[in-house]
Amino acid sequence: MIKFENVNVTYPGGVVALKDINLEIKEGDFIIIVGLSGAGKSTLLRTINNLVKPSSGTVYLEGADVTNAKKKELKLIRSKIGMIFQTFNLVNRSTVLKNVLTGRLSNVSTIKSILGLWPKDEKKLAFEALNQVEILEKAYVRASNLSGGQQQRVGIARALSQKPKVMLADEPVASLDPITSRVVMSYLKKINTELGITTIVNLHFLDLAKEFGDRLIGLRDGKLVFDGNVNEVSDDDFENIYGRSIKSSDLIGDD
Amino acid sequence: MINIPPKPKASYLAKIGLPFAFMFSIFSFNMIDFNFSDFQNNLQNRKIVTEPLFNPKWQWAWDNTSSALLETIQIAILASIIGCAIALPLSFYASRATNLNKFSYFLYKSFLNLVRTIPDLFWAMMFTVAVGIGPFAGVLALVMFSLAIMGKLLSETIDSIDPGPMEAAKATGASHNQTVFTSALPQVLPNFTAYFLYIFELCIRASVILGLVGAGGVGRIIETQRIFLRFDRISPIIVIILAVVILIEQFSVWIRKRIL
Amino acid sequence: MNLPKQPLNQKIFKYSITSLIILASLWSAAGLEITLDRIIDAPKQIGILVGAMFPLDLSQEAFSRIIPKVFESLFIAWAGTVIGSFFSFPISFLAANNFTKGIVSKATKQILNIIRAFPELILAFIFLPITGLGPLTGTLAIGIHSIGTLGKLSSEVIEGIDEGPLEAIKSSGGSKINELTFGIIPQVMPTITSYWLYRFEINLRASAVLGVVGAGGVGQELINQLRFRDFPRAGTVLVCTIVLVLTADAVSAAIRNRIIKGKLVKS
Repeated sequence: MIKFENVNVTYPGGVVALKDINLEIKEGDFIIIVGLSGAGKSTLLRTINNLVKPSSGTVYLEGADVTNAKKKELKLIRSKIGMIFQTFNLVNRSTVLKNVLTGRLSNVSTIKSILGLWPKDEKKLAFEALNQVEILEKAYVRASNLSGGQQQRVGIARALSQKPKVMLADEPVASLDPITSRVVMSYLKKINTELGITTIVNLHFLDLAKEFGDRLIGLRDGKLVFDGNVNEVSDDDFENIYGRSIKSSDLIGDD
Repeated sequence: MINIPPKPKASYLAKIGLPFAFMFSIFSFNMIDFNFSDFQNNLQNRKIVTEPLFNPKWQWAWDNTSSALLETIQIAILASIIGCAIALPLSFYASRATNLNKFSYFLYKSFLNLVRTIPDLFWAMMFTVAVGIGPFAGVLALVMFSLAIMGKLLSETIDSIDPGPMEAAKATGASHNQTVFTSALPQVLPNFTAYFLYIFELCIRASVILGLVGAGGVGRIIETQRIFLRFDRISPIIVIILAVVILIEQFSVWIRKRIL
Repeated sequence: MNLPKQPLNQKIFKYSITSLIILASLWSAAGLEITLDRIIDAPKQIGILVGAMFPLDLSQEAFSRIIPKVFESLFIAWAGTVIGSFFSFPISFLAANNFTKGIVSKATKQILNIIRAFPELILAFIFLPITGLGPLTGTLAIGIHSIGTLGKLSSEVIEGIDEGPLEAIKSSGGSKINELTFGIIPQVMPTITSYWLYRFEINLRASAVLGVVGAGGVGQELINQLRFRDFPRAGTVLVCTIVLVLTADAVSAAIRNRIIKGKLVKS
């Protein structure tokens, strides 16, 4: 479904974020990527929807070349990829509904979206998405008035409203407490198993990775250093990924 | 024996700048003939001003200025609304955060800078020549004035917005315009409103002056009276104007507090 | 699925504000007799004026008249800002309610408000009969107005300081004066100095304008040229003013930047 071919990313200024990544992800996979900060996890995720363009190499989605796609094609590709972020990235002053509707922007003309004339079908999709994460009743509440966990659920709803084939989650629970984190992770798992959406999650909490993951990918200094089932991971493997022995800050704990 | 670090040298700014500023100040005062004894002699003339100044003719002021005052306020309302409305989209083009085209960004930013350099009275003078004497010229002049200020303030605010929501919108496949509209604009709306109220205040003050060059408002009355040295009429006018300006300012501050 | 309803207040608020704005604009336009055809005609008229300014009058004579006036505006603005900064500084301490308690600070603030309310031009008016035509009047007008604005802004900076360092100085046995010199001044100087520079930028525009009433500076030239319909020369005056303001703005902005970034001392 998703294929990385010799992907390298070097940021202007010389920082090498990804080195020679070759990877294949099958449809319906639930993948967790672990590694230190700066290991390249966020960059890897962003090459999938071309928010970051690889310096060399290509990323393919369902056979289509994402890296070199033209504007129109790229928008189409992106509309099939949902993304959620560590800082939620909601428009604070807008309502929950408006935030979720931004997921439908690719389907609505610019004029209509500006004037707020959303077609009924689009609104319906937004409401359904909100229902799936169980915060339908907050539709007209201002986003900034919600708790962290609720905001992230709105983020998930925004992604769901796109009816995506792929879900990218960049450290979705880093700003949340352990209990809320598990709630959000279980939503992501549920969406993956019930709707078959290919899901890729960046995490730095190892115990969460073991709890929810199927396939685990480890990045270190931009290189792929581990790719296997999460049950097969040993402490040595983790040390290989992190370059040191496990610390308590690598575990989210139970609280 | 400990190693005492060397004392940091003052930068060029401090070494050269400060003495230069000092010398330049003395030079400037010289150039404007700041002559203290002359000044004291001239103070005698103050009677021409102070005697009538403190003998205000209120009735005359009331009778003759209320319609001009209304005109002043109307000029300010129209100009600030139109100027700020035009500045809103312009500011997004003049900010790196929302305009990714280097060339177009440079054009818009330079345009705003250029408009800012011309004082409002200069605009008024030119517009009176172009479209004739009267409040229309005043409105046009203050539209440029409002545009310039809002453009600068707003574009700088846009420069510092949170780029996260824009990234999220882009990731869903939205077009650039849609991204700016849904994820950048809402972030700056409260600032826009506060700036608008501030600019409205400024327009009221500026509009008072514009009449001096015939661009409408109370200014023309003040000018006529000044020529005849009728400070006894000017002083009540000024007091009334000040009262109105201060009132509007308090009102605007109150609204700004409630919104933010 | 139970669809929630949109609260009514949100919609009402939006619509009433928009209609208020539209109504206010229409009322003002009507009151000022600004009709649609005047608006449509305007661009053409403006074009005619701009066209008449080119080619610019770049003669020796023009420059010999204009350049001294340009510099005069510069000196007026600078001297006025110096007056404003110098006097506003101590006054701002009087007005700051964390430095001066009670009624003195309130009274000072009110006085500053009153001074601020007078536009420079009006002040110039008042001084004209006393100090006569010429740059001195302009300088006084700008200087006094600046005392008002800078006084208010500086007092707000002083009111916003962090009291922590002051407490530290007090607890180690420092006097009130020590608190002032080592606690307050270092905290407020960067911001206050940048306000002084920003005021200079604004005063430059004001001084250009004051010439219109004869208080010195470029404004006089512009209004004369416009009155005599000498548009090419008026255009030159404009260009010179623009160059002056752009340069001064750029220098002032650069200095302000460095001050705020704290690079006054190189390490």
